[in-house]
Amino acid sequence: MSFDYLTLAQLVVSGISVGMIYGVIAFGYQLTFATSSTLNFGQGEALMLGSVFGYTVVTQIGLYFGLPILWSYILMLPFVLAFGMLQGAVVERLGVRRAIKTKSEAGWIMATIALGIIFKNLAENIWGRDTFPFPSPLSDNAIQVMGVRILPMELLIVFGAIALMAAIELFNRRSIYGKAVVATAADIGAAGLMGVNTAQVITFSYALSSMTAAFAGVLVAPVTLTGAGLGGALGLKAFAVAIIGGLTSGIGVVVGGVLLGITDRLTGYYISSGYQDVPGLVILLLVLSFKPSGLFGRRAIKKV
Amino acid sequence: MRFGRRTLAALAATTLLSSAAYAADPIKIGLTGPFTGGSASMGVSMRDGVKLAVSEINKAGGVMGRQLQIVERDDEAKNDVGVQIAQELINKEGVVATMGFINTGVALASQRFYQEAEIPVINNVATGTVITKQFPKDNYIFRMSANDIIQSGMIVDEAITRRGFKAPAILADSTNYGQLGREDLVKALAAKGLKPVTEEKFNIGDTDMTSQLLRAKAAGADVILTYGIGPELAQIANGMGKLGWKLPMIGSWTLSMSTFIDNAGANGEGAVMPQTFIQSPSTPKRKAFIEAYQAAYKVERIPSPISAAQGYDGTYLLAAAIAQAKSTDGPKIKAALENLTTKVEGVVTIYDKPYTETDHESITGNIPVFGLVKGGRVVAERDDDIAGANAVRLKTR
Repeated sequence: MSFDYLTLAQLVVSGISVGMIYGVIAFGYQLTFATSSTLNFGQGEALMLGSVFGYTVVTQIGLYFGLPILWSYILMLPFVLAFGMLQGAVVERLGVRRAIKTKSEAGWIMATIALGIIFKNLAENIWGRDTFPFPSPLSDNAIQVMGVRILPMELLIVFGAIALMAAIELFNRRSIYGKAVVATAADIGAAGLMGVNTAQVITFSYALSSMTAAFAGVLVAPVTLTGAGLGGALGLKAFAVAIIGGLTSGIGVVVGGVLLGITDRLTGYYISSGYQDVPGLVILLLVLSFKPSGLFGRRAIKKV
Repeated sequence: MRFGRRTLAALAATTLLSSAAYAADPIKIGLTGPFTGGSASMGVSMRDGVKLAVSEINKAGGVMGRQLQIVERDDEAKNDVGVQIAQELINKEGVVATMGFINTGVALASQRFYQEAEIPVINNVATGTVITKQFPKDNYIFRMSANDIIQSGMIVDEAITRRGFKAPAILADSTNYGQLGREDLVKALAAKGLKPVTEEKFNIGDTDMTSQLLRAKAAGADVILTYGIGPELAQIANGMGKLGWKLPMIGSWTLSMSTFIDNAGANGEGAVMPQTFIQSPSTPKRKAFIEAYQAAYKVERIPSPISAAQGYDGTYLLAAAIAQAKSTDGPKIKAALENLTTKVEGVVTIYDKPYTETDHESITGNIPVFGLVKGGRVVAERDDDIAGANAVRLKTR
């Protein structure tokens, strides 16, 4: 393939926008891992549920109030965020709490996977199994920045994802509730002794985690289309991103996501579209062999 | 064991009753396809077309004085589910024939059970070329759709001969359907002395086609030939819209799927694809069919018109064959299908001896026309293709 900077720039821009999608889902993995060393393997389904639920809300608001899409989209956001929190809390209560209490190593893995399957089937029954379009709050026409074409929605994905992650980080660092989260993440035993209700903090971290996923769901849907099948592929990619970036680092998952998004596009273009998914897996294997805690992860020291 | 006189009489009466009931027993026909999932729009349209024909036939007195009864099962487009259903329909339900299959993979996995049980299969929608060639001897598999060789030939003809494009790029998904179709396209291009400037691949669920499209652009493509299904085809169209680099899209019949048309919106307008049937009242028969379908299922746009039409026609062919065989015996129905003496007027075409012992394809290359996505639905690309003498195209031999 011939080499020119414009093509390279276009690929990198597309890679960043796809990578931010991976990153924001992976950020959700990181949130629960920090407090409880458990993950919601149904994170992809949380994203999908937020997306199809948001679709119903946005169309209903549009029908009742006859508002332009941008306004119904903005009005829809609080509903979706609340829905995400509720869904995350349900996952924690049903799937994770008992496993943590009984110190079961694998119970929460099975339970969150099972809940993910149940949520997917539920969504298939309510919203059908076809892919369908999500109304776009911004124009569908690409804008041109120095020769690179980009959809306004892609910009919104990038900035929306960064804004949400920054807000959660800020909350964790500044507010008293956030400090409880950080304390639990640092040392769950000590936090408990200091009067932090760690069980509640863990539930809360699950709620936050599903909330980011649900938000990501409505953020990406105008570009990726939506439907009950949305979660599968994205959730898996994001899991790889979380491993690459490091499950203990918020910045790490963003960098990991963007890294994976860009290498996918570049491989697809400069080598072959048949191999587009390969380099991501190679990076994953390399990270696992040489820096198992992830590129930005802290090494976990287990005292015996 | 001793029977009292009364018991014997009761027994005799029961036997008589049950044999009388047997004469009027319905004829059971299997119906299978994906009624949920990514290809559901095709499966549901096919099912509804079949049911429409069955209700018409039953209203007119059924076949051999017996009603047709549909036993429908959702194969979810999964090969293993298709296999289970085949076994259930054959062994438990005792169907005399089965209509079905949207997905080539499911068809290939399920067919051999019917073949072994000597039960005819009318393949209404699946297009994989190998479907009717799986059993060279004593084949029980018949087809209503235009196979991939016909379609790829038409696609290449349209792109190269009719429109004069010189640099086609092929974009195909990584499934069996996409890759077998890609091979057929490459062969059809080679027959015209051409090679695709690039062959690109994508996976089911891919949402970003930037790399593939930029490669096609760098290779100097002037037309995009596609083999895939609705959602990803929509992402190709949307990707071209985003890059501001819009080439004509010509591809297999799946470009008529509602998941392509709805998800691509304005970007999908102008795509063309081979169709055996266009939802347009170009003959009285087609008008009646479209109106009956709309009334029965309360829709304006048939989700997948060609699946509905092929399913409807397939049902009439099967009914004609059972009537001619005067039997529900598999081998006799097969023999009748291979030598059908009545002309059957369907909505796709008029079937005059559609099958022979060696030819199980009811559609030849002259029958499909090009459909065009326009205003969110599929219309005939060239109006005179479905008007006048061209409206009904008969199978060539």
